[in-house]
Amino acid sequence: MSAVIRPGPAFAVQARGLRRRFGDVLAVDDVDLDVMPGEMLTVLGPSGCGKTTVLRLIAGLDTPDAGTIEIGGRRVSGAGASVPPERRRVGMVFQDVALFPHLSVRDNIGYGLRRDPDREVRVRELLELIALPDAGDRMPYQLSGGMQQRVAVARALAPRPDVVLLDEPFSSLDAALRTQLRGDVREILRAAGAAAVFVTHDQDEALTLGDRVAVMVRGRVEQVAPPEVVYGEPATPFVATFVGTANLVHGEYRDGLAVTRFGVVRLVGRGSGAGAGTTRRGLVVMRPEHFEVLEAPDGPADAGSWRILRRRFTGTEILYEVAAPDGERLWVEAGHAVRRLRLGDAVNLRLREIETVVFPAVGAHPATTTAPLDAGLAATPESSATALG
Amino acid sequence: MSGVVSRRPPRFGPRGSPTRTAVRDTDRRAPWPLAVAALIIAFLALLPLVYLVIRAFGAEASAAAFLLRPRTFGVVAGTLGLGLLVGAGSIGLGVPIAWLTTRTDLPGRPMWAVLTAIPLAIPSYVVGFAFLAFFGPRGALQGLLAPLGVERLPSIGGLFGAALVLTLVSFPYVSIATRAAILRTDPAVEESARLLGDSRLAVFRRVTLPVLVPAIAAGALLAILYALSDFGAVSLLQFDSLSRAIYLQYGASFDRSLAAILALVLVVITLALTWGEGRLRDRAGTYASRARRPPTTVALGRWRWPAVAFLTVVVGLALVVPVGTIAWWLVRGLAQGEPLRLVVDVALNSFLVGGIAAVASVALALVVALLAARYPSRLATLVESSTYAGYALPGIVVALAMVFLATRTLPIVYQTLVLLVAVYAVRFMPQAIGGLRAGLGQAGRGLEEAGRSLGDGPVRAFARLTLPALRPAFVAAGALVFLTVVKELPLALLLAPIGFDTLATEIWDAATSGFYARAAAPAALLLVLSVGTVAVLLRFEDATR
Repeated sequence: MSAVIRPGPAFAVQARGLRRRFGDVLAVDDVDLDVMPGEMLTVLGPSGCGKTTVLRLIAGLDTPDAGTIEIGGRRVSGAGASVPPERRRVGMVFQDVALFPHLSVRDNIGYGLRRDPDREVRVRELLELIALPDAGDRMPYQLSGGMQQRVAVARALAPRPDVVLLDEPFSSLDAALRTQLRGDVREILRAAGAAAVFVTHDQDEALTLGDRVAVMVRGRVEQVAPPEVVYGEPATPFVATFVGTANLVHGEYRDGLAVTRFGVVRLVGRGSGAGAGTTRRGLVVMRPEHFEVLEAPDGPADAGSWRILRRRFTGTEILYEVAAPDGERLWVEAGHAVRRLRLGDAVNLRLREIETVVFPAVGAHPATTTAPLDAGLAATPESSATALG
Repeated sequence: MSGVVSRRPPRFGPRGSPTRTAVRDTDRRAPWPLAVAALIIAFLALLPLVYLVIRAFGAEASAAAFLLRPRTFGVVAGTLGLGLLVGAGSIGLGVPIAWLTTRTDLPGRPMWAVLTAIPLAIPSYVVGFAFLAFFGPRGALQGLLAPLGVERLPSIGGLFGAALVLTLVSFPYVSIATRAAILRTDPAVEESARLLGDSRLAVFRRVTLPVLVPAIAAGALLAILYALSDFGAVSLLQFDSLSRAIYLQYGASFDRSLAAILALVLVVITLALTWGEGRLRDRAGTYASRARRPPTTVALGRWRWPAVAFLTVVVGLALVVPVGTIAWWLVRGLAQGEPLRLVVDVALNSFLVGGIAAVASVALALVVALLAARYPSRLATLVESSTYAGYALPGIVVALAMVFLATRTLPIVYQTLVLLVAVYAVRFMPQAIGGLRAGLGQAGRGLEEAGRSLGDGPVRAFARLTLPALRPAFVAAGALVFLTVVKELPLALLLAPIGFDTLATEIWDAATSGFYARAAAPAALLLVLSVGTVAVLLRFEDATR
């Protein structure tokens, strides 16, 4: 894999100030994006956030209104440059596979190797890589959805592109296949040493696949960071609630500490050092697993206790939505010890020792805590999420 | 329009096992009355073919010599030549039209798409008549040019005239099939090719065109089939293709076996083409992708007006010339006191035959559709294929076979309306089967099961729930058969009782005798009905979607 050893440019892709407008909609709004050589960058966002448009701008299938793009250190778009897609050395895997229906698997993979004398060898190599060594003579319609998508990946990799772009490649497959293929494709891309940009609206996919995750909303990139940082130190309230489940709890903060109704928490990240000397109001991010759920003794609930409104079983854990007498609602995670909690039960909450982030309170943010956005958990199965009567 | 039952190759799952495990009623046996009725219908559909084979083999030994005569050979060669010209012509018109109306910023795109589909519904002999009456030696064009001293125009008959007319009525087979193929191709297929290093031109050559080839070829084969089976246009334009030769042989000779032999030659050619068309259509089906985006369009730029000019010429020849010419002769005829009363009688005859045939045809189709949709089995496939095979036979062949059969075995029905209506009902049944099958698929067995869970017996549930749910499909199917029967020529010509004229035979009689003004009124009526056919077909598509 010479592409890895060669002392190449610092970035596989470098985009600066990208902007693209469709009619009244600013689909891509001042986006900067860097992809390191060999890195897998996932772009996560709700549908319609502009993530696919960013891919198409990088691929050259669409032209930005403003901004520049460099691929492998070469200017391909902006500032006078406009390299057509066929000369960008970019591979792309599409949502609906888009194999050439009239060509065999072998000819699909070899399509981009027309002038390559080692075409045969390279195709065989890729068939091995995608674990379909004997499928070369089959036609696309004879393959299952998962096999088709693996062939599409091989086809994109065949000409050894500087970067591979994947546009929600697994969204039309069923859940089990998706999980398996996710692992396969990551291995394949690793083995090929290719840099990749992977667009998805599925946070599991984004967090498990990405070396770094870029979170997009309404045409803007809100945060680019390794997955654990995106989860642990979200840059904006949107990121906090879109990636995983988050409660935004009112508090006051100063000098790296915040005071909330659950006590004092240590702050990290951007907001932690701010407000030296002065106390400010803000919203503190508290994850469900930050809480300990304690069964309240029977009898009249005391003033500090919470009632269980809803339950959501994710397969590995149980989340409860609980409400305080003053109406505040939170999502909390219960350990296995308290599995038998029922809707309506009273519980006490205790905050574990945590480090988290705070967002300065501005008028725009909701006054109470937010429930997890439905988008965030849309993919997880629910059980008995009956509302309290 | 012809077609055969298409069977898709099975799709395989990850481990090579069939992924389709949808519950089918393969274990259910059709009730015997249904099975017997369907078998009888299949037998009736194949009757002309079977009889023709028997008849041809019963011919004198001189038959083989007849087949090898240079004139026979010349007719076959001429027929194939006509097919090739029409095939090439319909590709030449249909593919650019499909591309312009799907992938470009052509002004008035939806309008052109509709206008270029209408010619398919106009009977070939109406366009043929209009061309004779316009471009012919003493046609409207000569009338317009007469002040310039033009006494007579060269004949437009023969191979060229027939090929032109047949191309103009059959190119929509290609444009419609190609449009459909373009619309179900994911734009990402072309984008992938770009990203793999191809220029726009290379992508067109290596991907766009090859992906469309099966659809284009299937459409062209349908156009060729149309040309080979056509009787009306070739007869009016006096080109000796097989179907005209069959008609002449039938009329002129005492040994009608010779006509049967020519008919069998035509049958072999058309059935082979039908088979090929089915294969190509299946292939085109496997090329369809799960496209979610509309096709990307190209800006025509300075090619905009040449493109509009091209479409204007095509629509001008295929629609404006026939409509204009017929209107011109109609006005002239009325001015000269041509009686309209006659047209009313003829139209009522046509509507009577069409109406009864439509009702009978839908009833027969319901039997086949029920069997095919509810009790899929080898028997059902056999029955359905038989009806389509009967449908694929050229009209003149069916007409001839039924004349033989009736005069030999049941002379009492020969040249009666009973025979004519019965033949129509069986022949055009496949037009109704498709829609009824789709309707039955939508109404589903679940509907009846719901009825039965609420206390109805099986027959009662079918009558109370399924039949009413099928009403739109019945209406559309009946309308389609009605319009087809009204436009049909060769069967009416050979099987209608003496003195019983229909719109089609009236046009044919008048046009062959050169009374253009007399043919104009029935032709105008058929033009209106043709547009009605298109409207019904479009509604049919909506209803079955």
